[in-house]
Amino acid sequence: MNTLITILSPDFLLRDALIGSVLVGFICPLVGVYFVLRRMIFLGVALPQLSAAGIAFSFLVYRVLVGPHQHFEMSERVLALLGSFCFTLVGLLVLAAFARHRETVEARIGITYAVAAAATILFAALDPYGEAHMIDLLKGDILTATGGNLTLLTVVFGGVALVLFGFRKELLLVSFDRDLAVVFGMRAGLWDTLLYFLIGVTISLGVMTAGPIVTFGFLVVPPLTARLITHHMLTFSLVAAGLGAAAAFAGFYCAYRFDMPLGPAEVAVASLVLVTVAAAGAVRQAVNRWRAT
Amino acid sequence: MLTSFNTTSTLSPMPCALGSKEESVNRMLLALQQVSLGYEGRSVLERISFTVERGEFLALLGPNGAGKTTLLRGMLGLIPVQAGQIEYGFDRLTSPPGYVPQRDTLDPIFPLSVLEVVLMGTYARLAPLRRVGRRQHQIAATCLEQVGLAHVAEQPFWILSGGQKQRVLIARALAAEPEVLLLDEPTAGIDPGAAAAIMDLIARLNRDQGLTVVLVSHHLRLVRSLVRSVIWIEEGRVAKGSTETMLSPERVADVFGMLTGTE
Repeated sequence: MNTLITILSPDFLLRDALIGSVLVGFICPLVGVYFVLRRMIFLGVALPQLSAAGIAFSFLVYRVLVGPHQHFEMSERVLALLGSFCFTLVGLLVLAAFARHRETVEARIGITYAVAAAATILFAALDPYGEAHMIDLLKGDILTATGGNLTLLTVVFGGVALVLFGFRKELLLVSFDRDLAVVFGMRAGLWDTLLYFLIGVTISLGVMTAGPIVTFGFLVVPPLTARLITHHMLTFSLVAAGLGAAAAFAGFYCAYRFDMPLGPAEVAVASLVLVTVAAAGAVRQAVNRWRAT
Repeated sequence: MLTSFNTTSTLSPMPCALGSKEESVNRMLLALQQVSLGYEGRSVLERISFTVERGEFLALLGPNGAGKTTLLRGMLGLIPVQAGQIEYGFDRLTSPPGYVPQRDTLDPIFPLSVLEVVLMGTYARLAPLRRVGRRQHQIAATCLEQVGLAHVAEQPFWILSGGQKQRVLIARALAAEPEVLLLDEPTAGIDPGAAAAIMDLIARLNRDQGLTVVLVSHHLRLVRSLVRSVIWIEEGRVAKGSTETMLSPERVADVFGMLTGTE
C-alpha cells in the first residue's frame, strides 16, 4: 500500500516514466486492435524490431556524417524518431504492397524480423557510441523519460487517438469489408495508408519510449484479451486501451515494488491478464456445456 | 447444352413496350456496352452488352467458373473494365448500389453486433468525421424490421445462423438506401427452408418497393419461379432474356445435366 501511495504522489521521482508507461499502454492497444482484426499480429513483432533498426541506423549515420551524439538530448530523440519512423513506415508500406500474395505473407514478415534484428545489432556494433544506449533501448529506457519527452508523447499519442476515433467508421469499414467500402466510393488505399501512418507513428514513439518488447506486447496482448470479452467494436477498442493502461500501471507497480525490469514486468502483467481471462472463458464454456448435458 | 449465345445480346428482358427514347433512357439503370472483364490482364468475359432496367429482377446464372461473380463485381465497380463501358442511370457516389457479398468473405474475428453491421450501410451517405446519429439508427432499425430481425439487433453477428446472417447483410445493403440491390450467391450454403425465405424476402423487396435486384445464383429451381429475367453466362459470353425463355423446362433439364454431369 505504501508503495502505491508513493507511486501516486505528485512528487514521485519516476512520475514521468509512470505517465509515459500508461500512455504507451493506452495507445498501443488502440492501434493494435487493427493488427488483431486484420490478422497482422506477426507484423506487430517485425515492425518494432524494424523501428529499433531505424534508430540504430540513424545513430550510425549521424556518427559517420557529423560525429558522436549526446545521449538523452532532444536532438538525439528527434534523430531516433526520424530513423524509427522512416524504417517502420517504409517496412509497413512494402509489406502491405505485397499483402495480396497471402501464401507467402508469414515468410515475408519472418524475414523482415530476422533482417531487422540482425541489422539492429550490426548498426549498433558499428557505432561504438550507440551500442550501450541501444542495449538500454532494447530493454526499454522509459525510466529516463523527461518532461520534454512526455509532452511529445502526449501530443503525438493524443493526435493518434483523435484520428483513430474521428475516422473509426471509415477504418472499420475498410478493414471489415473492403469491397463495400469501394462500392461506397471510399478510396480504400488512402484509408489503409492513413492507418499505416498511425501505426508507424505509434510504433516509432512506442519503441523509443518503452522499447520493442513493450511496444509489441501492448500492440497485441490487450486487444487479444479484450476480444475475448467484448462483442462491440467501440467497447473492444476502449476495453483494449483500458486493459493496456491498467496493465502498464500494474506492471510499473510490480517493477518498482519488487525491483524488476520495467518493460518485461509490464508485458508479464498484460499476459497474465490474458491467460486469466482466457482460462475463465474456457471454464465458463465447460460449465455451460456441462449444464446443457 | 445451350446453343443460342449471343456475345452482344440485348434481348428485352420482358415483353414490355417502351415509349420514346427518353423514356427508355429513364428506365435504364445500368448498361454494359461491349464490356470485357477479368483479372490481371486475363479476360473472363469479353465484349458483353446488356441493359438492366429499373424495377427489374434479374438473375445471373451459369456453370461454376463461368464469370457470374466477375460480372457482378464489374457492375459494382470492384474490378476495372478492360474494354467497353458501363453506364449507370444513377449517381454512384450519392446513391451507391446495395451490395450483399458472400458472407464467407467476412472475417468472424471482428466483434460486431447485428446493429453495428447494419449501420455500416448508412456509412454510404455519411461524410468522414460525421458520426452515426439518431437518423442512421432509425434507418438501421427499419431495415432490420424489413428483414424480420429487429429482435436480434444487439446480439453478436457471428452467433446467428447462416440464413440470419444473410438477411442481416441484406438489411445492411438496404440501409444504404440504394436504387439497385446486387447480391452474390445469397442462398449459398444455407438450408433449403432458409434459402427459400431469403428468396421470398428479395422478391418482396423487388415487388413491393420497386427495388431493382440483380443476383448471382446457382439455384436454378429456386430463382426460376421468382426472377423475371435471366442472364446466362458461359464461356465468356452472355445471353439475356425473360425467365420463361431462358429457363424453359427443356433448358433447365439441359442446364442441370450440364451442371451435374448427368446429362
